[in-house]
Amino acid sequence: MIKKGAEGNIYLSYWSKNRALLKIRLAKPYRNNILDFSIRKHRTILESEMISCVKSLGIYSPLIYFVDIKKCMIIMQYIDGELVKNLSDNKIVDICKSIGKISGDLHKNGIMHGDLTTSNFILCKNKIFIIDFGLSSRTTKSIDHAVDLRLFKEILNSAHTPIMENAWDNFLTGYKQNVGLKYYNIIMNLVSNIEARGRYNNNLNMQK
Amino acid sequence: MICLGIESTAHTFSCAILKKHDGKTTIISDVKKTYQPPSGEGIHPREASRHHIQHGPSILSQCMKLAKINIEDLNVISYAAGPGLGPCLRVGAVMARSLSSYYNIPIYPVNHAIGHIDLGKFLTGAKNPLVLLISGGHTMILSFVMNQWRVFGETLDITLGQLIDQFGRYLGFSSPCGKNIEKLSRNGTNYISLPYAVKGHDVSFSGLLSAAKHHSSKPEDICYSLQETAFSMIGEVVERALAFTEKKELLVVGGVAANTRLSQILNDVCVRQECSLFISPIKFAGDCGSQIALTGLLEATTPHHTPSKMENTFIRQSWRIDSVRIDY
Repeated sequence: MIKKGAEGNIYLSYWSKNRALLKIRLAKPYRNNILDFSIRKHRTILESEMISCVKSLGIYSPLIYFVDIKKCMIIMQYIDGELVKNLSDNKIVDICKSIGKISGDLHKNGIMHGDLTTSNFILCKNKIFIIDFGLSSRTTKSIDHAVDLRLFKEILNSAHTPIMENAWDNFLTGYKQNVGLKYYNIIMNLVSNIEARGRYNNNLNMQK
Repeated sequence: MICLGIESTAHTFSCAILKKHDGKTTIISDVKKTYQPPSGEGIHPREASRHHIQHGPSILSQCMKLAKINIEDLNVISYAAGPGLGPCLRVGAVMARSLSSYYNIPIYPVNHAIGHIDLGKFLTGAKNPLVLLISGGHTMILSFVMNQWRVFGETLDITLGQLIDQFGRYLGFSSPCGKNIEKLSRNGTNYISLPYAVKGHDVSFSGLLSAAKHHSSKPEDICYSLQETAFSMIGEVVERALAFTEKKELLVVGGVAANTRLSQILNDVCVRQECSLFISPIKFAGDCGSQIALTGLLEATTPHHTPSKMENTFIRQSWRIDSVRIDY
């Protein structure tokens, strides 16, 4: 096992002599089992579908080799790289521009990632791979896309505090490049809307 | 150093005395009284503030009596300046200001949410925890970075406490309804599918509340399913935050920490993520004067920190925890 994630356990494995990654969403005993199985099954299907789908958009993501819906298990290509989260501050700031571009591409094609964090991007041979589509959905609603951006901002602010501003600026530059100024403005408006819904945001509540 | 803390952000009015001597802090007394709205109704800010005005003075004198000290012995007074209900906050602030100006005692306005965390850390001994703050006013996952509590995830609409209270009131209970809902849910057996809304590290409960209200099943089953769904959502986002931050401690503070089913789920989450779980003792998990006194004491004993001038003793209904700089 290489990582015990929040959702599933990740094991190193082989698929016809290629190094592969096995992700299995084991039952969570603390959850009601009807709820638990429906979540695990839904996310396994979603993740395997989406990862394959984004490849056709020219976005780097692992190849899916095998899916077992009953066991909630996916075997996929092993990406030998470093999680963006663990890179040096300078590198993260740089890469945020590419992450912004990738996010823009996803949104333009009606896909919301749902868990846009620095731990879901891998740097491998100067390419950025996107992973973990368990919370994704097909949606062209701009409010859903704004939720993605807000989450990324929240994570930068709490987990990468010293570089927050530069990284966020870079992300937005990349995002704007790929979605265009008009859509960018719509999304940014919605992001502040969502932030204003957060509790005790006095000043923001005044804005429309 | 002896500090009086006054809490009056919502339904609870409480005074507490804390003493710091030779680097050791002890809670000497903590007295509280909680406003109980009529069945099926929530906290009416005006009624709650009247309750506080009526009972405030006797709570203060009881608290002083228990601690066996006089007001002249106090070195610091702190009060909850927000976030909370305006009329209620004002009662505590007026009491603190009057005492401070009449007896010439330094005064400190304190953020209520920070008080929750400071007291939780103090009572449980957690060192560098990921914090889950769950109450009627907050549902947040926080970690402390660069002199500030940073939000790792939070509710995008109503809080966990509100979800439970609003559904409880809909069934005819009076706030706070946590105990009643928990009791009912023990008799529920059928899990009903309800909206499960986890968005990254954030949660949203408003859809769940509407769905629960409009469901026609037995109340026991709805309570059971409501708790299971909401608590699983919290469990999942906490697990995500633990996996992301790789923190080895989880501290749970706030009124909803008293729920046994939730602590069972969080315990499981911590076992899975190999992390120690710290839960505030029930007596101090909900709103109390000690949390305000402790934060006041921490601020007063920080070098270069000066008490507020009387004209700066504000109250702020909306005061986000992540906007406060902390130097201790």
